[in-house]
Amino acid sequence: MTLLQLEDVGVRFGGLQALQGVDLEVKQGEIFGLLGPNGAGKTTLFNVISGLTAPSSGTVRWRGASLDGLSSHRIARLGIARTFQNLRLFSSMSCLENVLVGLHQHASQQPLAALLQTQSFRRRESQLQQQALALLDLFQLEDTAHQDAASLSYGDRRRLEIARALASRPQLLLLDEPAAGMNPSEKDELRELIRRIRDQFKLTVLIIEHHVPLMLGLCDRLAVLNFGQRIALGSPDQVRRDPAVIEAYLGGGA
Amino acid sequence: MDAGLLEQMLLGALLGLSVYLPLRCGQLSLATPGFFAIGGTVAALLSTRVPALAGSGSTYPITSVLLEMALAALLTGVLALGLGRVVLRLRGIYLAIATIALVEILRVVTLNLEFTGGALGIFGIPQPFDSAAGYAAFTLALLALICWLCDRLEKNRPGRAMAAIRDDELAAASQGINTADTKLLAFVLSALVAGITGVVAAHFLNSWNAKLGNFDASITTLAFVVFGGSRTWLGPVFGGLLLTALPELLRPVGDLRLIVFGAVILVGPLFFPKGVITPELFKSFKRRIRGTPTAAAQGVKP
Ligand SMILES: Nc1ncnc2c1ncn2[C@@H]1O[C@H](COP(=O)(O)OP(=O)(O)O)[C@@H](O)[C@H]1O
Ligand SMILES: [Mg+2]
Repeated sequence: MTLLQLEDVGVRFGGLQALQGVDLEVKQGEIFGLLGPNGAGKTTLFNVISGLTAPSSGTVRWRGASLDGLSSHRIARLGIARTFQNLRLFSSMSCLENVLVGLHQHASQQPLAALLQTQSFRRRESQLQQQALALLDLFQLEDTAHQDAASLSYGDRRRLEIARALASRPQLLLLDEPAAGMNPSEKDELRELIRRIRDQFKLTVLIIEHHVPLMLGLCDRLAVLNFGQRIALGSPDQVRRDPAVIEAYLGGGA
Repeated sequence: MDAGLLEQMLLGALLGLSVYLPLRCGQLSLATPGFFAIGGTVAALLSTRVPALAGSGSTYPITSVLLEMALAALLTGVLALGLGRVVLRLRGIYLAIATIALVEILRVVTLNLEFTGGALGIFGIPQPFDSAAGYAAFTLALLALICWLCDRLEKNRPGRAMAAIRDDELAAASQGINTADTKLLAFVLSALVAGITGVVAAHFLNSWNAKLGNFDASITTLAFVVFGGSRTWLGPVFGGLLLTALPELLRPVGDLRLIVFGAVILVGPLFFPKGVITPELFKSFKRRIRGTPTAAAQGVKP
């Protein structure tokens, strides 16, 4: 079943055509990879899906319905969560608080109950705490739960951002270069982790990553962008052998 | 201590909280004196022009003061709801400038209206308490109530959303936080606190005029929060109390007091960039009294 559908999506920044005529379909449950050199428009594509950038042309559909004109918090509430290429954690908060913000949509919305700290309200809050701690646990961040997010190592911050995104219980997770700055063993662990969370949370994953072997090993399907256009689409094997990809991205030698 | 000074300090703390609320979600609004002035004008007009509110006793009834507060809250709340939708689209210093303009517009309008008494203002505002101590007790109760509400707010969903917006508005929106509504909530609450405070101040001061909500007041109230800190409600309360008391306590040194006051505002942020009162302060304080081991002793992660 098609979860996310891009139809002829184009984005213009002044004189620069960052995306042009991009068609994509992401199916439920798959890990879909986006490859492409720097400046190809991958992050812009994520920004369009998550409502941070309005497309100049074309439409994005979520379960068949257009996302046109929806603000980013509305899109997030539909079940689309993301991480950022240049980490955007809440730096004055602890790791636990970061994940609690991710749980925002699931917190009690009754002001009176919050004021009076009713029993059911407190039970709900402590459930949220437990869920946040469980997520930190999954990403091996339980020891740093009460530390400032800003004090973590780079790899830990990357994983905390994924944990925060997962907290909103999304159906689609967008990961923008999650392995950037990680060492080879951390990258291997990350690959396993992404598979595991996909299965455990019944997720669909759309991932941008430069590390080609990791992507070929992880993704069910891939698309390759170059200069804002989709130049290839298919299984890892198909993409690996695609002459346009070898020419444009893999530099002929791969 | 002089009860009159104490009352001024408590009013300062309330105004500090009003500036603090938008600032806690990263919005530098200097509109507080404007809403304060509206509250004061509402109280001055109602208590001097509406005979029914005066009651039969020798002092002005407190229920009438509460009614004025409710009306001031309604008026400032509705106004903030409408204005906030527009001005909160501005960011950073542009929001600050727009809100200063707002305060100035209000001041000039009040100055030129017939029924607000023009430049002279309104005199002979009736007294619900016969001593400054009565005012102080009433204002202390009000401050306690608002502090309690702020504490609840901070520890729950809207407070977390506000802190997230302050840290990174775009990331907050990506977590499903309605950033526009959250900022609007903070702005409206700020206006309510300022409006209610204006009502109390008008009775206490006995007269009310346009000068009370001017640009100087914007800066003074901002100083309360800059000095005290904008991470928890205790910061602006502390800043408001101390910085209101300081010029008065320094009165014996004459004009020098203004220099000392200025130096505190100037030097405070240098030594306490996050303000004097921060959550870290509480954590270290709690650690000390509980005697739990510090991070180093808890064992460093291998
Ligand atoms: N907000 C923006 N304004 C102007 N140009 C932008 C903006 N965002 C991205 N670009 C440009 O669009 C192109 C694609 O950028 P991006 O999507 O970040 O590429 P990638 O993620 O594939 O490296 C780049 O040339 C970049 O400079
Ligand atoms: Mg990018």
